[in-house]
Amino acid sequence: MKENLEYLIKQVMSDILNLSPDSITDDTSVDNTESWDSANHIQLVIALEEEFSISFDPSEFEAMLSYLDVLQMVQSKL
Amino acid sequence: MTETKAPAAPQTSTHDSQLRDAITAQIKERNLDRAIQYARLLLQAQPSLRTLRFLRRIAESGEAPAFGLRPFRVALLSSFSIEFAHDALIAHSFINGIAVKIYQSGFNTFRQELLDSNSGLYQSHPDLVILAVEGEDWEPAAYGQYTTPSTEFPAIPLEPFFKEIAGLLQQFRATSNAPLLVHNFAPPVARLLGILDIKSRDGQSRLVGRLNDILYEACSQVTDIHLLDYAGLVARHGAVNWYDARMRLYAHAPIHQSMLGALAKEYAKYCRALVGLSRKCLVLDLDNTLWGGIIGEEGLSGIQLGPHYPGNAFVEFQRGILALRNRGVILAIASKNNPQDVDEVFEKHPFMVLKHTDFAEFQVHWEPKSESLARIARKLNIGLDHLVFVDDNPAECEHVRTALPMVTVLQLPPQPERYLESLFEDGWFDTLSLSEEDQKRATLYEQRDQAEALREASADLETYYRDLDMVLTLNPVNPENLARAAQLTQKTNQFNVTTQRYSDAEIAHRMTDPDWLLITAAVADRFGDNGIVGLVMARLNNESLDIDTFLLSCRIIGRTVETAMLAHLCEIANRQGAMQLRGTIIPTAKNIPVRDLFKRHGFTPEIEEPDGTSIWRLELSNAWITWPAWFKVKKTC
Repeated sequence: MKENLEYLIKQVMSDILNLSPDSITDDTSVDNTESWDSANHIQLVIALEEEFSISFDPSEFEAMLSYLDVLQMVQSKL
Repeated sequence: MTETKAPAAPQTSTHDSQLRDAITAQIKERNLDRAIQYARLLLQAQPSLRTLRFLRRIAESGEAPAFGLRPFRVALLSSFSIEFAHDALIAHSFINGIAVKIYQSGFNTFRQELLDSNSGLYQSHPDLVILAVEGEDWEPAAYGQYTTPSTEFPAIPLEPFFKEIAGLLQQFRATSNAPLLVHNFAPPVARLLGILDIKSRDGQSRLVGRLNDILYEACSQVTDIHLLDYAGLVARHGAVNWYDARMRLYAHAPIHQSMLGALAKEYAKYCRALVGLSRKCLVLDLDNTLWGGIIGEEGLSGIQLGPHYPGNAFVEFQRGILALRNRGVILAIASKNNPQDVDEVFEKHPFMVLKHTDFAEFQVHWEPKSESLARIARKLNIGLDHLVFVDDNPAECEHVRTALPMVTVLQLPPQPERYLESLFEDGWFDTLSLSEEDQKRATLYEQRDQAEALREASADLETYYRDLDMVLTLNPVNPENLARAAQLTQKTNQFNVTTQRYSDAEIAHRMTDPDWLLITAAVADRFGDNGIVGLVMARLNNESLDIDTFLLSCRIIGRTVETAMLAHLCEIANRQGAMQLRGTIIPTAKNIPVRDLFKRHGFTPEIEEPDGTSIWRLELSNAWITWPAWFKVKKTC
């Protein structure tokens, strides 16, 4: 199931951040990804909410600034 | 924990990735119509942000004209972060055949952008400007900052609001000819007076109503300002679903993601009308579309049409279709049935709202529906891409989608009570103005049939022309016919030399310039009055009268009206001291009928550009165009 979750999250990130899913690694974060700016970050959160039918508090938005953090936050809501 | 409202349908499935692959493949092969069909299906199945962004990427992936998408520049001015609507706007424009380029003003700088004639707004040369301001932002005293009026706090004066909005609109119009679309104000969600609000003269509900009245007044006083019923849109979806308080407070983005598609769809209706892509003809199936059941199997008394469910749903649907006819939409039938069975329903069924004469064309036989549609388009002389085909049968819909990808296919939902809503939802036939010609259009097709019958019965063309008893009326463009003139430039594709689209405001601007000659041509014949069916716009340029626009409605092609219009131009040119008449032909996929216009009237070719554009010249000193003898002419210019 975790592999499936990772796959789906990478698909969402790929769509929103215009990256190929293969290029998304455990290191991917706002610091090293040009397209991961503040506007796209909000879009990413919204897209994840739609994809998994979950909801984030704005305070949680800023705890999701890397692929690993996104994975962990999404998992915590499921 | 906050709850997400209206979560999108479960998540991207294999079906969605198949659709994405299909879209990508069709784009690669430059099959735009097929790509758009798949895109529509994808948006219906999965209207999420992911889909919108995918479609945006597709739309932006190539040079728009090469694809067949119409380029269109939209400027967005807003009091909130409307950037979040870009994906939706680009995606919905794409599925409407439009490649939208967005100019976005800075956050809440709409006043500055409108007032400064050197602003980015004006420099972006938009084709459409959208002013999207939430009531809360413009007049917070009617929303969150509301206080009950008392002797200490009088009700808010509304005169300053009127002055401000009128000033902005006037300054805009003085600087730009682009059409402007203004959001009206949605009522506040929280009524601070509670149940007392609606009863109070200065309560929030009445206050916002007054603001909207003022907005309406201000917009009516300036040309080409259109209102978007934002209040209606929010009401339709429900304010509790429309707004996202969390995003409003966190990112100044008040509209919930799941609603941005609805907003973009609304914008697309205006864009479509402005680029001439409004549909013209509604082609309907009969069984389980205009009535419940199958006439050939159940007979007159077996089909469902009448005061009880589901018959009353079909009655309502027919009434909605009749309303479309009354505002200028052409109706046609494409049904697999025996003509006698169908005739019987129209003649004898007591609850039929639509009559035989409401339809311009009947295709009732057992041949494929694609054949019917092709014949309808040919006989009515309109493009297939101006047809909307409505059927309840998924197989028929798929057949038409495959055979005729440029036809808009509307597959009805399973429940007849949802038919009416699904027909009106996309606003396929919406236009920006309603002229007398529009309202008479269906009757005009009847008259055209009569004229056709005369032609077939005439020994030769000259006899036919004379027997038509045509009266040609030439008037300058004036405030009364301005909207019709602009509409003609937006909708006419076949007999149109340059296919330049103009808004009301752009033509109004030319009316103030003495070098421009703007002439409408109206034609009446013995079968009836066709109203204004031709337009010429020409500019005096030193000794030459240069034709910028020369067009005729497709209904009036083949009657030498163009010769009369050119004869008139010769006379005017002479009167104004011009020595030459010049015309330009810009070839398009649709204007083949007009390509030889200048050649057959004795113009000589002057310039031929590499892209196919040609400029033609008539030297008035040694060439002339005579009036055809069979017109009675009335002119005021």
